[in-house]
Amino acid sequence: MAPSVSRSNGISKPSAFEQWLKKNGSTILLPAIGILGFLTIWQLIAWSGVTRLPGPLSVFTDERTRTLLLYPFYDRGGLDKGLFWQTMASLVRVAQGYTIAAVVGISLGILVGLSPAIDKALDPVFQFLRMIAPLAWVPIALVTFQQPEISAIFVIFVTAVWPILINTTVGVKQIPQDYINVKQVLQLKQKTFFFKILFPSALPYIFTGLRIAIGLSWLAIIAAEIVIGGTLGIGFFIWDAYQQNYVSEIILGVVYIGAVGLILDRAVAYIQTLILPE
Amino acid sequence: MSAFVAIENLEKVFPLNQGEYLALKGIDLTIKKGEFVSLIGHSGCGKSTLLNMISGLDFPTDGLVTLEGQRIKKPGPDRMVVFQNYSLLPWLTARENIALAVDEVMGDLPKADRDAMVQTHIDMVGLKQAAEKRPGQLSGGMKQRVAIARALALKPKLLLLDEPFGALDALTRGNLQEKLMQICEENQVTAVMVTHDVDEAVLLSDRIVMLTNGPGSKIGQILEVDIPRPRKRMEVVEHPSYYKLRSEMIYFLNQQKRVKKIRARKVEVVAKHGLEKVNLEIGFVPLTACAPLAIAKEKGFFEKYGLDEVNLVRETSWRGIVDGIAGGYIDAAQMPSGMPVWLTVGGHEDRPLPTVTSLTMSRNGNAVTLSKKLFDAGVQTAADFKKLLRETPGKSHILGMVHPSSMHNLLLRYWLAANEIDPDHDVHLETIPPAQMVVDLKAGSIDGYCVGSPWNLRAAMEGVGVTIATDLEIWQGHPGKVLGVREDWANAYPNTHVALVKALLDACRYCSDPANHLEVRKILSDRAYVGTREEYIHLGDPQELTCDLGNPIEYAHHWFYGEGSNRPSRTEHLWMMAQMARWGDVPFPRNWLEVLERVVRPTTYSIAARELGLLDEKFRRGAIELFDGSAFDAEDPISYLNSLAIKANISIAEVHLDPPRILAA
Repeated sequence: MAPSVSRSNGISKPSAFEQWLKKNGSTILLPAIGILGFLTIWQLIAWSGVTRLPGPLSVFTDERTRTLLLYPFYDRGGLDKGLFWQTMASLVRVAQGYTIAAVVGISLGILVGLSPAIDKALDPVFQFLRMIAPLAWVPIALVTFQQPEISAIFVIFVTAVWPILINTTVGVKQIPQDYINVKQVLQLKQKTFFFKILFPSALPYIFTGLRIAIGLSWLAIIAAEIVIGGTLGIGFFIWDAYQQNYVSEIILGVVYIGAVGLILDRAVAYIQTLILPE
Repeated sequence: MSAFVAIENLEKVFPLNQGEYLALKGIDLTIKKGEFVSLIGHSGCGKSTLLNMISGLDFPTDGLVTLEGQRIKKPGPDRMVVFQNYSLLPWLTARENIALAVDEVMGDLPKADRDAMVQTHIDMVGLKQAAEKRPGQLSGGMKQRVAIARALALKPKLLLLDEPFGALDALTRGNLQEKLMQICEENQVTAVMVTHDVDEAVLLSDRIVMLTNGPGSKIGQILEVDIPRPRKRMEVVEHPSYYKLRSEMIYFLNQQKRVKKIRARKVEVVAKHGLEKVNLEIGFVPLTACAPLAIAKEKGFFEKYGLDEVNLVRETSWRGIVDGIAGGYIDAAQMPSGMPVWLTVGGHEDRPLPTVTSLTMSRNGNAVTLSKKLFDAGVQTAADFKKLLRETPGKSHILGMVHPSSMHNLLLRYWLAANEIDPDHDVHLETIPPAQMVVDLKAGSIDGYCVGSPWNLRAAMEGVGVTIATDLEIWQGHPGKVLGVREDWANAYPNTHVALVKALLDACRYCSDPANHLEVRKILSDRAYVGTREEYIHLGDPQELTCDLGNPIEYAHHWFYGEGSNRPSRTEHLWMMAQMARWGDVPFPRNWLEVLERVVRPTTYSIAARELGLLDEKFRRGAIELFDGSAFDAEDPISYLNSLAIKANISIAEVHLDPPRILAA
């Protein structure tokens, strides 16, 4: 008798947690299992001694790393700061390079998109330059600017600018004939055409470029900060840790980079949904 | 005010990867202020291209487009376009879309005025509720309303519509068509619309411009829509012109499709058995009189004389025959007896097209039928009919005939005129395909007709009409259908021509033998030929004269063969030439002797008859005598014409014929 009662209760009134689990089970539980499995295998391999790479647990077991993990906001002056500050410094650098890339990329993209002649002239140059890896830009930047800080921002800029530029160009070139017809029939002034037709029409393409670019510019941060050397920033932090053989610190740094990259990407995507509802 | 928009000798060539494509050629069109013109044609015929050149979105390779005398150099808001896919900006609301146009074009007006104008036009198209929505949230019909409102808000001199309702469902389309029509009428808008919807074109237009298929599309025909405005969708359908216009357009479009197919086929001339061409396309119209053709085909007479690959082309109207002969895609045709002369003197599009006849395939077979309604009202003779017409002067009576050059038209007119009824003033004659007559009589859209059998007997048997006179009572033994070919064709394939006459003459003989009548009737009733029930088709004694009113009898008087009936007669063709001129359809040629020499070729007939061993063929000579006793003097046709009491404006003119030439094979 009793079991049947409790069972009927269970069916008629599932707890809030059960409901939540039912709803989000597959979206949260499965990724969690995946991550946990990955970390476990990694840890097992580390324990087996096949490689010198420490397992994920070393982030807690290693004392220096544990401090960095638990106190991201500490500030002992100089370069000895918590990971939050390191990350912030990198983000500021990325923001500068990325902003310049966005401004240059969008305006140049519109120019190129509107003029087939300029497009023909510059396209080979763009296609060539965009194939060059961020790291290869480092020596060029250093020779050109002679200043590490500016060189770093340049490297980020030069990594991020191509997808913005190319996507904007495509967006402008792909303005549907319908809208061009509207412009022609109404004899719209250039200004009205730009703000009412060209820009809104190319916006989805521009955002695609911006989203690809934010990921790339964050990827370039390591290269950029290695160039500068001896500066505050997550990239140099990893480089420094490697030099001093703090392997578990590298792992922690990498986790930070991955997480921040993900957040940046999502942030741009979110802004996109705000501006382009559909 | 005559030419508001003028298009002169316009030509458009599109460059292609390889070579170029001639889209439009020799387009001439003027549009009056306040007129609504539709452009119709098959896909790819260049109708949108033409519209684009009026709008200025595209430019002609050659020729000129002007608006109020000014050459169109670029697009502008005075020629607002409504596109099929709306062309609204999706990031702006309906109101903002309209306002964008108004603000840009009428920027010098105060803001309040502009806003009011936007509001007026939103209300005009009934979009008050949806004004703040973006296009993405609107249905197709609503989007097109916004586009129309945007266009009209600018008060354009000319409204250009590119298949505006093409993407809409039928119900929405109907409503919007009516709305557009109302707006255009209220605001006196001049409009040009591209469409492929026949009904839409009739409903909305004052004129319908039909374009032929590309490459090198040109204006094939322009139809005037005489349906009075304001029009209502439901009422327009009931207007007598509606179906005529509609079928005219459908005929045109079908014809274009066929021409395209024929062009794609590219027939090679097959020469065999000493004949220049044995693969022939021969046109005919479903009538009992097509019997010789049907028999020649079914009984193997064509093959017997070496014509191995004859294909009979069934046309529903004589117009199809004319187009086929003029277009050169049929080799020969069964023609109404007046047609060879009619074509030769320029009856078709005012261009003389020398045509030859060497065989009269049938005589008699026609009758005048009046509707049962008239019969019940006491009309039993032509005199009764005249009395009725005099008593009801306000009422228009419509009589059907099949072609201006057909004997039906000429006999009907002659019969009316002899009974003191002016066929152009007292009644209204209309060209209707033979098979359509009974249906129209049943529907009451015509009051009678003159046509070949079986359509008289059928009306009588179905009780919708009464035969009031057979042709035996008008002109016994008149020519009915003849074999017609182009002169250049006849000159290029003389032996084939003889073989064709032989085959058909042999078939005529077969048809005239009473022993074969059952079989002939059975073959004719087949869908490939007349396509009607066997009891409607009769063949019999051609000498039977009576016509029993109200009592359907066998009108068995087709005369296919014998007693010189098949030899083409110059006198008869002259009579028909004179009759056609009498009614102003064609001018009477001052060089009528030359025309007759060119058209009527008894030599070809004689060769064929001799080779068939028919040596006892008689000549038919002497004056032609009709029922009213008036004789036709073949020596002096012009005096004859002048002596007639009832006639139209007769013009006498030299018809310039090109010297005989041979078809370039």
